[in-house]
Amino acid sequence: MSDQTHMNGEHDIAPGDEEQHSVGERIVGYVVGLGLALLLTATSFFIAGTDLVWQPSIPVALIVLAIAQMGVHLVFFLHITTGPDNTNNVLALAFGLLVVFLVVGGTVWIMGHLNQNMPPMDQFIRMHS
Amino acid sequence: MAMTATIGRAHADPHHIGLVVEHPGPAPKRTVTAYGFWVFLLSDIVMFSCFFAAYAVLVSQTADGPKGSEIFEQRNVAIETVCLLLSSFTCGMASIAADVRNRFWFYLGMAVTCLLGVIFLVIEFREFADLVSRGYGPSRSAFLTAFFSLVGCHGLHVSAGVLWLLTMMAQVFAKGFRADVLRRMMCFALFWHALDIIWVGVFSVVYLLGSGV
Amino acid sequence: MPAGRTVEGTMLGKLDWSAIPFEQPIPLIAGGVVLVGILAVLIWVVVKGHLPYLWHEWITSVDHKRIGVMYILLASVMLLRGGSDAIMMRIQQAIAYQSQGYLPPEHYNQIFSAHGTIMIFFVAMPFVIGLMNLIVPLQLGVRDVAFPTLNSVGFWLTATGALLVNLSLVIGEFARTGWLAFPPLSELSYSPGVGVDYYAWSLQISGVGTLVAGVNLVTTVLKLRTKGMNYLRMPMFCWTTLASNLLIVAAFPILTATLAMLLLDRYLGFHFFTNEAGGNVMMFMNLIWAWGHPEVYILVLPAFGIFSEVVSTFSGKALFGYRSMVLATMAICVIAFMVWLHHFFTMGAGPDVNAIFGIASMIIAVPTGVKIYNWLFTMYGGRIRFTTPMLWAVGFMVTFIIGGLTGVLVAVPPADFMLHNSMFLVAHFHNVIIGGVLFGAFAGFEYWFPKAFGFRLDERWGKLAFWFTFTGFYVTFVPLYVAGMLGMTRRLQHYDVAEWRPWMIVAAIGMAVLSIGVICQIMQLVVSIRNREALRDRTGDPWDGRSLEWATSSPPPVFNFAFHPDVRGEDAYWDMKLSAQQQSLDHEEPEYHDIEMPRNSPTGFVCAFFATIMGFALIWHIWWMVILGGIGAFATFVVFAWRDHDEYVIPAAEVAAIDRVNLEERRNLVSMAGAI
Repeated sequence: MSDQTHMNGEHDIAPGDEEQHSVGERIVGYVVGLGLALLLTATSFFIAGTDLVWQPSIPVALIVLAIAQMGVHLVFFLHITTGPDNTNNVLALAFGLLVVFLVVGGTVWIMGHLNQNMPPMDQFIRMHS
Repeated sequence: MAMTATIGRAHADPHHIGLVVEHPGPAPKRTVTAYGFWVFLLSDIVMFSCFFAAYAVLVSQTADGPKGSEIFEQRNVAIETVCLLLSSFTCGMASIAADVRNRFWFYLGMAVTCLLGVIFLVIEFREFADLVSRGYGPSRSAFLTAFFSLVGCHGLHVSAGVLWLLTMMAQVFAKGFRADVLRRMMCFALFWHALDIIWVGVFSVVYLLGSGV
Repeated sequence: MPAGRTVEGTMLGKLDWSAIPFEQPIPLIAGGVVLVGILAVLIWVVVKGHLPYLWHEWITSVDHKRIGVMYILLASVMLLRGGSDAIMMRIQQAIAYQSQGYLPPEHYNQIFSAHGTIMIFFVAMPFVIGLMNLIVPLQLGVRDVAFPTLNSVGFWLTATGALLVNLSLVIGEFARTGWLAFPPLSELSYSPGVGVDYYAWSLQISGVGTLVAGVNLVTTVLKLRTKGMNYLRMPMFCWTTLASNLLIVAAFPILTATLAMLLLDRYLGFHFFTNEAGGNVMMFMNLIWAWGHPEVYILVLPAFGIFSEVVSTFSGKALFGYRSMVLATMAICVIAFMVWLHHFFTMGAGPDVNAIFGIASMIIAVPTGVKIYNWLFTMYGGRIRFTTPMLWAVGFMVTFIIGGLTGVLVAVPPADFMLHNSMFLVAHFHNVIIGGVLFGAFAGFEYWFPKAFGFRLDERWGKLAFWFTFTGFYVTFVPLYVAGMLGMTRRLQHYDVAEWRPWMIVAAIGMAVLSIGVICQIMQLVVSIRNREALRDRTGDPWDGRSLEWATSSPPPVFNFAFHPDVRGEDAYWDMKLSAQQQSLDHEEPEYHDIEMPRNSPTGFVCAFFATIMGFALIWHIWWMVILGGIGAFATFVVFAWRDHDEYVIPAAEVAAIDRVNLEERRNLVSMAGAI
């Protein structure tokens, strides 16, 4: 089996590998990614500690910023693109994210309902004594 | 004639929708290895998602112990975050150096990555040690249990990453940029970047959102 | 503070002579017999000089076929262990009416916990993983799996888990908590012994092995396919393998995380699932079933694939509705992650949550129904040969429909409130797991045995085994449905209700019939091995098969195929046979090339050795030994990473010599078929 990275025109690309680029272009990619990530991180920390924005919007904003930053990392550091040679990698990622979403979302939803339906402990003890 | 028509269609339709493309056969080893590791990383992320879910469920269960806002130090977290971000960047530089087989830049990139990783671990360890010494260990409350496990699990991954990083450097030193060493380097880079992505979730959900609870 | 600290101070942690159950004759005798058996086999191997052969050809082998066979062997041995647990339980419930029976409660509880754990993790899982390992690369037309050495590591870690579970028979105890170890019962305050630790660590270790197998097989199917093997030309078994292993990769980390939380509670005093300090017991049910439900489909999807292959081969027809089958498989793969709450409707999440998960559970029956119809339509109008594998497939269809229907019944939350934790539920899940997974495993075993060993299994004993197992299954489990309807709950060590008694006795009789089926299966193996020359499969295609595994000799050479086959459509090998007949066979010899194959490696075995040490030391709180095991495991990896030659070359001449024999047999076959 060959180890040619960028020559496999017909094959899918390995996750993390880039399409053919010069060293300079690749470094620029990482620099842009780093810049964007730092910017988003700074915004997150700023928003979390500020009184300047409407307070109830903060959790949503933090989650949106986190997702945006994960996207930046995926594109600029892990080189996940929408190209046809990346389909397999993206599909695997999508399946993983779906499961993450189902597990976290489902757990929070189910446990929230269970907590809500549970009689408060002191009341429960009174009922059974 | 038919040939050119197919080529023309392939260009207009880069995803080959509606066109049966003959599968070219087994993929090259580099693709296979990296893909397998990619699938493993996704499973690792699912494992983290369980700890995230546990944190979300238990974050308000402080059992009269401290709340998140009382123990988190934003400044430390910011330093940790910057360390990991920069290390992701230097790790990327080391991967480029490995691809062009430049030993100097490879060692430099990996060494800086290692240093940043160790700084991160030291800050985290001191945070943990400080909390435990104040009586706020993981056994204090369910909230602290979830906090220590999630952040600690990430920390363990970073520690394993540092160990792997040193092994990689030793491998390049002993074996040079052999094909199998380059494949492992690629997996290591994927691992390190993925840890950074998980850290984005950790600092957003645990430290920033957790301070508001 | 770590709970273990209180007993620390001795070199051996919690381990002392009281760990050996001298006062309990049953486990001691059983353990003694097993130990003597193992020693006898070891001595025989050493004295006869088979050790080098075993070491070079099997233990260190990275050949996917060998590893597949070892998985199946492990599963078969564990099936006998789990089966004897089942026999003991049936006998206990048959005689424990208004009495204590012959098993004391603490022992009975260990038995039902071990039965479930072993049957799921060390029988069903290795059996299906073994079959997938054995067959999928052959069906894809490739020479090996994506990660041969890791494959070996995965197998040996699974074996480590099985070893630890069985070790609990003689050293210490097993969990008394049921096969999922629900807290708070499994927390340190209620289960202070090592039973739950045995349970959790063996599952953690074998879970790593399963994850490795999953990653390996997903990558194999997605990245290693022969030329022309497009996704929609893969045999159905490859599709179900892909779906099942995607589920493994996505679900097993949930099990790992959940058990890690339980272990942190037990070892370091954390509060995930405790009653105190804000821990949440219900979160354990939630998380473990988020793994547990996909697990059901991890097991049954490969079985669906096996039935697809068997039904289409023995009906002499292409699989009906191939594309709908693919769609149904992938739909099950996704929906499997959306139904887990139906295992705990009664915990009280409220009507809206229960309703949504109830509906999702009913929806997942739809793609399953699609599959049943596809199999029926494949058989319709076909020229059906009722061989043993086909009998298992038809038996499955009948049995699985009943199990599926009772499943849809308990998917209705109000009905589930009545039936939860009753014998009805026990009957239901045995109905689908035995009727689906075990029948599938047996069908695959009978179907692919000639491929693995080069001779067929005896049909007469095989059919006897089927009919005894089939009948025994119904006689055992229909009474359990009835008992459940009469209000009998599961896991009862004794009971005082007279109406249940007759049904328990019938179930025990059924168990006896089932055991005869197992004995027939063993007899089949013995008889077939003795008659192997008469049953020899010289053509490599004993069943007139349709997919690529039949295109190579039985057993296949280590490299599987001298050339990567060129696939032009579905049912690749069937097409090749047809076109070969039409072209009246060109006898031109192809040009052979050198083949590179991965070298054997003891990495898997050595890793498992250290994992066993580490697992045992963790269970008994022997901390220095834990560190030693950890260092050993890391060192193994580094040594493995340092080796310079991981492949060896089979010269073209040798490939040619092996392939010529195969081609000659095949030409005879085709010309014979042409003459007819």
